[in-house]
Amino acid sequence: MTVKAEGVSKRYFRKAGGANYFYAVQPVSLEIAPGGVTVLTGRSGSGKTTLLNMLCGLLRPSEGSVWYDGTDLYALDDKVLSRLRSGQIGIVPQGRSAVDTLTVLENILLPARLYRRPLPEAAAVQWMEKLGIAPLRDARPTELSGGELRRMAIVRALAQEPEVLFADEPTGDLDDENTRLVLSAFRDYAHEKEKAVFMVTHENDALQYADRVYRMDSGNITRQPG
Amino acid sequence: MNKLPLPLVNLLRKPGRTLALALLIAFLALAVFGGSVVVLSLRGGLQSLEARLGADIILVPSEAQSKVSFQNMFLQGTTGAFYMDASVLDKALEVEGVEKAAPQTFLASLKADCCSIKIQVIGIDPALDFTVQPWISRSLSREMGDMDVAVGCKVEADVGETIRVYDQRCKVTARLEPTGTGLDTAVYCNMDTMNTLLRAAEEKGVSHRIESGDSVISAVYVKVRDGADIDAVNSCLNGHIRKVTAVRTRSMITGVSDSLAGISRTVTILIAAVWVLAIVILLLTFVLIIRERSREFAVLRLAGASRGMLSRMVLRESALCGLLGGVAGTGLAALLLFPFAQLIESALNLPYLMPETGTVLLLAVGTVLLSVGVAALSSVTAAYRLSRVDPGTALREGN
Amino acid sequence: MKKSMIPAGVILVLSLVIVIGEMTFLAPCLHEDGAFGPCHWAGRALLGTGCVLGVLAALALGVKRVRPGVYLSALPVCALGILTPGTLIDLCHMSTMRCRMVTQPSMIILFSAAMLCALIGAILSARERSHHE
Repeated sequence: MTVKAEGVSKRYFRKAGGANYFYAVQPVSLEIAPGGVTVLTGRSGSGKTTLLNMLCGLLRPSEGSVWYDGTDLYALDDKVLSRLRSGQIGIVPQGRSAVDTLTVLENILLPARLYRRPLPEAAAVQWMEKLGIAPLRDARPTELSGGELRRMAIVRALAQEPEVLFADEPTGDLDDENTRLVLSAFRDYAHEKEKAVFMVTHENDALQYADRVYRMDSGNITRQPG
Repeated sequence: MNKLPLPLVNLLRKPGRTLALALLIAFLALAVFGGSVVVLSLRGGLQSLEARLGADIILVPSEAQSKVSFQNMFLQGTTGAFYMDASVLDKALEVEGVEKAAPQTFLASLKADCCSIKIQVIGIDPALDFTVQPWISRSLSREMGDMDVAVGCKVEADVGETIRVYDQRCKVTARLEPTGTGLDTAVYCNMDTMNTLLRAAEEKGVSHRIESGDSVISAVYVKVRDGADIDAVNSCLNGHIRKVTAVRTRSMITGVSDSLAGISRTVTILIAAVWVLAIVILLLTFVLIIRERSREFAVLRLAGASRGMLSRMVLRESALCGLLGGVAGTGLAALLLFPFAQLIESALNLPYLMPETGTVLLLAVGTVLLSVGVAALSSVTAAYRLSRVDPGTALREGN
Repeated sequence: MKKSMIPAGVILVLSLVIVIGEMTFLAPCLHEDGAFGPCHWAGRALLGTGCVLGVLAALALGVKRVRPGVYLSALPVCALGILTPGTLIDLCHMSTMRCRMVTQPSMIILFSAAMLCALIGAILSARERSHHE
C-alpha cells in the first residue's frame, strides 16, 4: 500500500502574537512506498509528530488530503477509518501507550480483539521473542520499564502485520543494543514483507537503516540525498 | 489470556474504582427501594385501618373515652377492658339515621400461669359484625364454634393448637391475614365463648366491674345510613344513651393519616436529596475518571477503536457498575426491611402493612433498572466528550 | 496474610457480635416480673453456639493445617445458630415481642453471614492447599 500526502498542512489558532494562527506543518507532499523504510528527522518542535499523526489518520489536516492507494483517508467516516487503523495501519506513538488493566500479551492483541478477528498470538509471541520481552507476556504494564513498554508498543504494531507502520521516536527509551534490534526489525519487516515503514526520529543511528530520509524544519520538509 | 468482554475486564482489574462507584450507586438504590417500601407499607396500613374501621361512629362507656388509649388499642393492640350494658346496642339502633350496629366485647388475658399468652381477646357477634367479620371470614369459611378462636397474624399460635385463657382451653381455628394494625395482635371469638371467658376471669378474681351478669359489651360499632349527617347522628347518640360516649372514627383516622403524610413527605424529601447528591457526585466522578483515563482511551483509539466503540464501552462499564450497585443496595435494603419489619412498625407506631410480594419484586426490579439507567446517563456526557478527544493530542499530554 | 484467613477474621468478628449482642443489644425479652420466657433459653443456646463459632474462627486463623476442616465444621454450627431461635427452641408467642422482633432476625442474619464466610473460606483454603501439593 502506498501512502501519498498532497499539500497536507496543520495550523493552530493562537491568541497572542501578530497573526491569529500559525502553521505547525506547512503544506507538505510526500510519498511512502512499500518495501522500504522512510525516516523523518528534525529538531524537536519542528512538527514531525503532527505530520505523522495526520498521515496515520489520527489528526485531521487543516488543508490537503492523505491517500491510501487511491482512498482519501479523511473522506472515510470514523467507523471505517478506525477499522482501517486496527488492521492495516500500525502505530507506535510517543510515550506510554498501554491499557493498564490488560496484560502485555492482551495489550498486543488488542487491535484484533476490538474487531473480534482471530488473534495473531503466534506472530505476537514470535515478535516478543525477537525483541526480548517474551517472559513479560502475563505482566501488567505498570510492572514494566520504559524500554519494555516501548517494545510492547512496537510488537503491538507489528503483530497485526499492517500494510503501513508508523513509529514516533520508537528508540527513544531504548539502549544501544535494543535500538539496533528494533531498527533492524523494522528494516527486515519492510523489505521481507514488502510493507511501508515510516519513522520519526532525531537519532542519527536510524539513518543507516533508512531507504529514504526527509528532514523537517519549522514545519517545512525537504528530501535528503542518500 | 482473559476472554471476557473489555468493559468487564476493566471493572474486574480495577476493583477499587469499581467498588467505590458501585457503593455510591448502592446508596441510591438503598434509599429508593427502602424509602418506597416504607411509604407503601404505611399507605397500605392506613388503607387497611380504614377498611377495618368500616364504622362511622363507635360507642364506648364514658369512662373509656380517653381517645389516646382507644387509638392505641387499634394501632398497637394495647389491651384494655371496659364494659357497659348490652342494651346499649338496642338503644343505638333506635336512633334515627343508624343503619347498622354491632357489639364487641374486650377482655385482656394475663401474663400468669392461667393464661398461655398475655393478649387482647375480642368477642364479636358474627351475625351483626361488619368491621372484623368480613376479614375473619376470608381465613375461616365456617362459623366459629364454642371455645373456638381465630388469632391475628402476630399471635404465634398455629391452627389446631390450644391456648389457655383464664384456664379455659380455646382451640385455634384460623390465623388471620395481616392488617398492619393492632387487630393483628388480638384473638377473636364469638359472644358465647366470650361470656365463658368473662365468667372464668371473674372466678380468677379479675374484677371487670360487670354489673349485670351475662349481658355486657365493650363497644358498639355504628354505620350511619347513606345521606344521613354523621355529626347529627353522633350527637343524637350522645344525648339518647346515658353513660356512653359516641366517638367519630374519622377523627382517629385523620390523626393517623396526618402523621403518615408527614412521614411520607420526609421520606420523599430524603430520597430526592440522596438522588440529587448522588447524581452530582456520579457526574463529577465520571468526568474525573474519564479524564484520568484519557491516555488509555487514546491507546484504544489508535488500536482501532471507533468513537462509537469507546462510548459504548464507557456506557457498558458504568451500566455494569450500576447493576452491581443497584443489586447490592436493593439487597441490603431487603435485608433490613423484611426481617426487621416488626421493629420498624413498632418504632413508627403507625399502621404498617407490607406490600404484596409481586409489588415488592416489581419495585426491586425497578430500582435496579433505575440504578443502571442513572449510572449510564451520568456517564453519557463524559463518554461524549471522550469520543471528541483527538487521540494524537491525548497521547502527547501527560507524557 | 493468606486470602483464606480473611473469612476466619470476619467470622471471628461476627461471633463476637453474636456473643456480646446476646448479652446486650440483641438480648431476648426481659419480662417485668423477672420470669424467664422460653426465649431466654433460646438466647442462652445462641450464646453457647456463638462461643463455639468464635473458637472455630480463632482455630482457622491460627492453625493453617486444619483450616479447611475447621471451615467445614463451622457450617453445621452456623446451621444450629440459624435454627435455634424459634425452630429448635420456642420464643415468645407474639411477633411484637423483642425476641421475635430483634433477636431472631438478627441472629439468623449473623449466622447466615458466618455460614457464607465459612463456605468461602472452605473453598479458598482447599484451593490454596491443592496449589501447594
